[in-house]
Amino acid sequence: MRAYLSAFRMRRRLEFQYRGAVLGGVVCQVFFGLILIAIYRALYAGKPQAMPLSQITSYVWLQQAFFRMLLASDPELMDKIRTGSIAYDLCRPLNLYGFYYVRIMAQKMTGSLLRAVPMLLFAFLLPEGWGLMLPASAAGLIWSLAGLLLGLLCVSALENITMGFTMRTLDSRGMQALLNLLMMILAGNILPLTLFPDSWQRVITLLPYAQLLDAPIRLYTGQTAASEAPRIILIQAAWILVLAGIGLLFWRVNQKRLEIQGG
Amino acid sequence: MSYISVRNLEKRFVIREKRQEGALLRGKKTVRALQGVSFDVERGELLGYIGPNGAGKSTTVKILSGILTPDGGDVTVGGRVPWKERREHVRHIGVVFGQRTQLWWDVPIRDSYDLLKDIYRIPAGDYRTRLAELTEALQLGDLLRTPLRQLSLGQRMRAELCGSLLHRPELLFLDEPTIGLDAVSKLALREFLQWENRQQGTTILLTTHDMEDIVALCPRVMVLGHGRKLFDGALPDLLGRYDTLRTVTVNYEEPEAVPELPASIPLARDGKNLMISYSPQEYATAELIARLQAAGTVRELTVQPQNIDRLVAAMYREMDL
Repeated sequence: MRAYLSAFRMRRRLEFQYRGAVLGGVVCQVFFGLILIAIYRALYAGKPQAMPLSQITSYVWLQQAFFRMLLASDPELMDKIRTGSIAYDLCRPLNLYGFYYVRIMAQKMTGSLLRAVPMLLFAFLLPEGWGLMLPASAAGLIWSLAGLLLGLLCVSALENITMGFTMRTLDSRGMQALLNLLMMILAGNILPLTLFPDSWQRVITLLPYAQLLDAPIRLYTGQTAASEAPRIILIQAAWILVLAGIGLLFWRVNQKRLEIQGG
Repeated sequence: MSYISVRNLEKRFVIREKRQEGALLRGKKTVRALQGVSFDVERGELLGYIGPNGAGKSTTVKILSGILTPDGGDVTVGGRVPWKERREHVRHIGVVFGQRTQLWWDVPIRDSYDLLKDIYRIPAGDYRTRLAELTEALQLGDLLRTPLRQLSLGQRMRAELCGSLLHRPELLFLDEPTIGLDAVSKLALREFLQWENRQQGTTILLTTHDMEDIVALCPRVMVLGHGRKLFDGALPDLLGRYDTLRTVTVNYEEPEAVPELPASIPLARDGKNLMISYSPQEYATAELIARLQAAGTVRELTVQPQNIDRLVAAMYREMDL
C-alpha cells in the first residue's frame, strides 16, 4: 500500500512543478468559460429557457474549473509505453494497474485542484448571470464533494482503460482522441447535460461519463436534490467497480501478450 | 540444482507483414526468437551474454526477469518460475536496461530512490546503509539532489545502477550498460560491477556488444545466434579458435630498410612504420623478429593480437550469423 501512496505523492509533487502550465490552463479555461457564458446569455436573451441562467453559468464554471480532471493524460506514462521503459515497471513487485492508477489519479487531482481554486474564486466574484453561485444547500455541497471524489476515481479508471488501448496500439492518439471526444460530449463539457432533451438525459446520466463531473455539479447546483444523493453516489460507485474491473482484466491480458520491442 | 536453470527455452513472435498487393489481409510471419536454449548459472557467477543484434539476448533477459512468457521450455531462478510467480520473483532481481530509464525525469534522483525503497519495502535502516554504500562506490554523493534530466549519460547510468541495486537483488541483469559511455565511465562502471559481485555475491548476467566489457568482467561467456546457443565457456577458449592473426609494427632508423619475408606475408607502410600481419601457426614469431632485425636498426617494435571486435566479427561470420 505504501508503494502506491508513495507513487501518488511523487506524481502529485511533479504536478506542482509545472506552475507555468497551471497558469496557462487557468487563463485558457477562464477564457472558454466567459465565451460559453456569453453564448448562453445571448441564447437566453432571445428565448428564456426553463432552467435559470445562474444554474447554467455555475455549471459552465464548474466544468471549466475541473477540465483538467477530464482531459489530461500523463505524457510520461505514454512515453514509457511507447519507448518500452514500461519494462522497468513490469519488474516491480507491484500490481501494474494499481501503480498506474494512482499516478493518473494524482495527476488529475492535483492538476485540477491547482487550476480550480483560483478559477472558482474568480467565478464567485463575477456578477449574477455571469458567475458561480453558492451551493444550493450545505448538504448539497457535502454530497457534491463526495460525488467529485467518486468522479475522480471513475475518470482515473476510464483513463486506465484508454492506457490499455495504448499498450496495444503503441500510439496514444487514435483511441484516445476518439474516447476523449466521446467524454467531452457525454460528460457535459461542451454542452451542459442539463440542456439535453429530458428523454436523452435519462439515458446519458446513467452512462459512466456523466458520473465524472455532471453528477457532482447537479448536487452542487441543487438540480439533484440532496435526498436523491445516495442514489447518485451508488451509481457512481457501481461504475467505478465496473470500470476498474474491466481495466484490471484488460491490463492482465495485455501483460500476458506484451512484447517489449527492440533491444 | 543451479541458481538459474534454463531448459529448451523457446519464444516466437508473430509479426504482421506489409499487405501484399492484391491481397485482402496482411500476412503474418512467425519469428522464432529462441529455439531451444538451455544453460545453467550458479550463484555469484558473472556471465557475459553476447551475440549479434537480434540474436535473442534481450528476449532471454526479458523471460528471465518475468516480463515475457515463453512459448516452451522450463526456467527456474532461485527455485521460482519467473512469469508464474512474477511478483515474488522480481523482488529478488534487479535490472538495468541500458537504453531505458527507471528514474523520474524531473525530480532529484534521491526522490526516485525513496520511491523504490517503498516499492521494495526496504527497511529504513538498511536503506540508509545501502544507499550510502552505493553512492560512495558509484560516486553519486553530490548528485543525489540533482534532477535526472541534468545528469550526463555516464552519471545517469551510475544513477540507474544504484536504483537497481538498492534492494540488494540476488541477481542483476545488465542490458548493454556501457552503451554510449566515455572511457573513464566505462572503467569505473566495470570496477563497480566487480566490487558488487564480490562484495554482495550478486549473480550478474551481462549482455553487451562491447567486448572490452566481457574481457574485463566475465570469466564465462555465452554466444547466442539465431535463437540458439552457439558457445558456452571461457572467453580465451572462444577466442583461441579465431585468434589466428598478429600484427607487428616496426619502425627502423633507416627509412629505406625493408625486411625479407615470404611472399605470403603482406607488408604495408604507414608513414614511418611498417605493418606486418602474420599467423603465428604458419610462421614462428621468433623467426619473424630475427628477419626484421636483420633488415636494419630497429627503433621500435610492437606485436599485437588481433582487435577483439574483428575476432568476434570473424566468429559471427563463421557461425553464419
